[in-house]
Formats: sequence, C-alpha cells, structure tokens
Amino acid sequence: MLYEGEAIKTLIPQRDPIMMVDKVWSAEGDTAVTGLTVTDRNYFLEDGLVAEPGLIEHIAQSASAFAGHRARVAGQEAPIGYIGEVKKFRLYRRPAVGEELRTVITMGTEVNGITLVRGEVRSNDELLAETQMKIFCE
Amino acid sequence: MTKEEIIEKVNSVLAEEFEVEESVITPDAVIKNALELDSLSLVDLVALIDQEFGVKISNAELPTIKTFADLYTYIESHQA
Repeated sequence: MLYEGEAIKTLIPQRDPIMMVDKVWSAEGDTAVTGLTVTDRNYFLEDGLVAEPGLIEHIAQSASAFAGHRARVAGQEAPIGYIGEVKKFRLYRRPAVGEELRTVITMGTEVNGITLVRGEVRSNDELLAETQMKIFCE
Repeated sequence: MTKEEIIEKVNSVLAEEFEVEESVITPDAVIKNALELDSLSLVDLVALIDQEFGVKISNAELPTIKTFADLYTYIESHQA
C-alpha cells in the first residue's frame, strides 16, 4: 500500500464529499492500482448503488492520484488534471455500499500534455466498468 | 511491411476510427483537415499509429507530419 486515507489528499485536490479514491495500492511504470470502499456516505449513491458518473469520477481521480504520485517521486508538486474526454465507457454492474473497488489505471499515449488513460474498475475480480479518457494536466 | 501495405492499412484504420470515407485520405491531403482533428482526437491518431504499427510519434516530430504522405514515410522509416 502506497497511500491511504488522509495521505491521498497530498495527491489529488478533491475533498469530501466527492473524494472517490481512498487507497493507492501500487504504482509501477505506466500502471497503478487504486481502491475505494463504497460507504453509505458516498456522494454518487443512487438507490444504494454508485451511479455511472461516480465510477467515471473514481477512474479520473485514480488517474489523478497516479499522476500526483509520479510528480511526488520526481520531486514536483502534484499537477491539476482536467478530463478532456470520456470514450468507450462500459458499465457492467454498479457497485453497492460495502464493496471494495480495485481499479487499474494505465497511462498511454501523451501528446502535448494530453494523456490517454485507460481504467478498469473491479470488485472481487469482477469487472464492473471500464473506459478510456483523455486528461489534460497543467 | 512495404510502403504499399502501410498506405493501405493506414487508410483503412484511419477511415474507420475517424469515420471518414477513404477517398478523403490522399497522399497530399492535410491530415488535420481530412480527419477534422482537434487537440483531443490528435491523441487518438498518435495512439492508433502506435497500436497498429508499433511506431511512437514524439511530440517534437508530430508537427512535421502534416500530410498523409508524411505519415506513410514516417511509419516506413520508423517501423521495427
């Protein structure tokens, strides 16, 4: 485990109630694994399940946390990232309160500060959602 | 891969990805105009060339690739 709880706040600018990452399990090369335990206080809950925008936000914040970690390792401040585009989003199942999400983030091609990011959200190895997004970091 | 094979594959995958007729992809056509690229879709182009040909276009070299002829030549000279 690289980061948990309050330490996540050193990586991303989001704060409660919209913090959608509570762990960074690992980060190596172009891949990181993050986590989120869905609580009954989750801002994106609808009928006891995390809504689609919440999963997209979780993936985006996971990518942001990864970028923040990389910046820290390089001795720089965590960058502010903006979602430029969400593409090929697939939702297979919305997670419920109590589930622990594990998300694999893969950083891909970067062109002029815009990075192609792929995210896969799983719960107990079951693929819940996946997407590509483009993130602009400043 | 020969130059002819590169041209055929580039035209096919770009037409499909960017939803344009292959007829708009001619050697002298400007890529940005033919594919209606913006700063976001430019990332898709670079990623697609990497995925399909294993050729990474650097940020420094990207501005030199203006036409499809430039792209064919770049891929041909950088393929493994």
